[in-house]
Amino acid sequence: MDSEGQKNFRKWFKPSWSYVTGAVLLSILQVITLIVTQEPLGITSAFSYWAVRLQGVLGFGTPEQLGMITQLMGARETLWFEENLVTLRNLGIILGAFLSALLASQFRLKKIKSGQQALMALLGGLLMGYGSSIASGCNIGAFFSGIGSMSLSGWVFGLSLFIGAFIGGKLLIRFLI
Amino acid sequence: MNLNDQKKDDFAKQFSVGLVLFVILLMVGVFLLQYAPMIAFFWLSGLGFGYVLQRSRFCFVAAFRDPVLTGSTAVTRGVLVALALTTIGFTAVKYICQSTGQIIPGHGYIVAIGMNTVVGGIIFGIGMVIAGGCASGMLMRIGEGFEMHLITLIGFFLGTILGNNHLQWWNNHWMWIKEGVFLPDLFGWAGALIIQLLVIALLYGLAVKWEAKQEV
Repeated sequence: MDSEGQKNFRKWFKPSWSYVTGAVLLSILQVITLIVTQEPLGITSAFSYWAVRLQGVLGFGTPEQLGMITQLMGARETLWFEENLVTLRNLGIILGAFLSALLASQFRLKKIKSGQQALMALLGGLLMGYGSSIASGCNIGAFFSGIGSMSLSGWVFGLSLFIGAFIGGKLLIRFLI
Repeated sequence: MNLNDQKKDDFAKQFSVGLVLFVILLMVGVFLLQYAPMIAFFWLSGLGFGYVLQRSRFCFVAAFRDPVLTGSTAVTRGVLVALALTTIGFTAVKYICQSTGQIIPGHGYIVAIGMNTVVGGIIFGIGMVIAGGCASGMLMRIGEGFEMHLITLIGFFLGTILGNNHLQWWNNHWMWIKEGVFLPDLFGWAGALIIQLLVIALLYGLAVKWEAKQEV
């Protein structure tokens, strides 16, 4: 590719979009998703699905959970990507972001810097996993899609997220910076 | 080779790999289409969400954290715009479905409200700030090459196992409104839409004022 052509391509893929552009496109994707799949965007149900599956393999959990697993195991003629379409979509989100980063030449392999960073990543993930599974959703399913669906739960969850982020920010300042 | 040339070289390399990846991702989409259009849709919409999230640096953590931490509300306002537009779109779809006698889609997202919502939200809020990424942000940053967020994903999964096993307990304690509240049931379609958009507009105004106050 000659440098003139490169420049033209760069114009298309290099600059970031504004947050408002992002908001408009995300909303359009949300509405299409609601129409086609009959459900808004959600992410964490995929984690729940595999968590229950893992429990089935290891054989622990409440009777209801194990009953659900037996049911799932009974219907095992399907291929992995058919079993939980949300998992497939999550994989799509990772690869879509990968594609976007590559086209803008923003992809960088960022190694874990320290044990402390790894611990924070693990702890943060644990808290998010626990929080989303008891509140039936994350920042997407319970907050974004919840409020978009005009569910009061979305607002209650959003306010709680704000309080949590405030506490988290204070913790960060106190223990790290 | 000077730094500028190196940058150009890196751009060309990443861009070429990106083009190859684009073709592969589309081919996977065509492959999935053979199983069922719905499967291909989940795949392609995921790619779309990931692409838009990365390109617009749409970060829910920053939206909640930055107003207090740095005083910036740019992302917060972006999220509020998304909430307003999605509300209008979803309500239109739901209203049309109800008027034409079809099942209202997405009612599974009208969930119960209880202490679980509040505690879950606070715990999630702390977690996303500590990890520097929410659920969507974590997936996006894995795609951008952050190794750290792979560990977050593992933590997320382990936390889900723990939370799933406590779900029963949370459902039996301090559950305030078990059947959830769909706002149009309370205020009517138009009333609920207007109230919700006004609340979002009010928050938007507060965000603008808050940022202006920080700059003084």
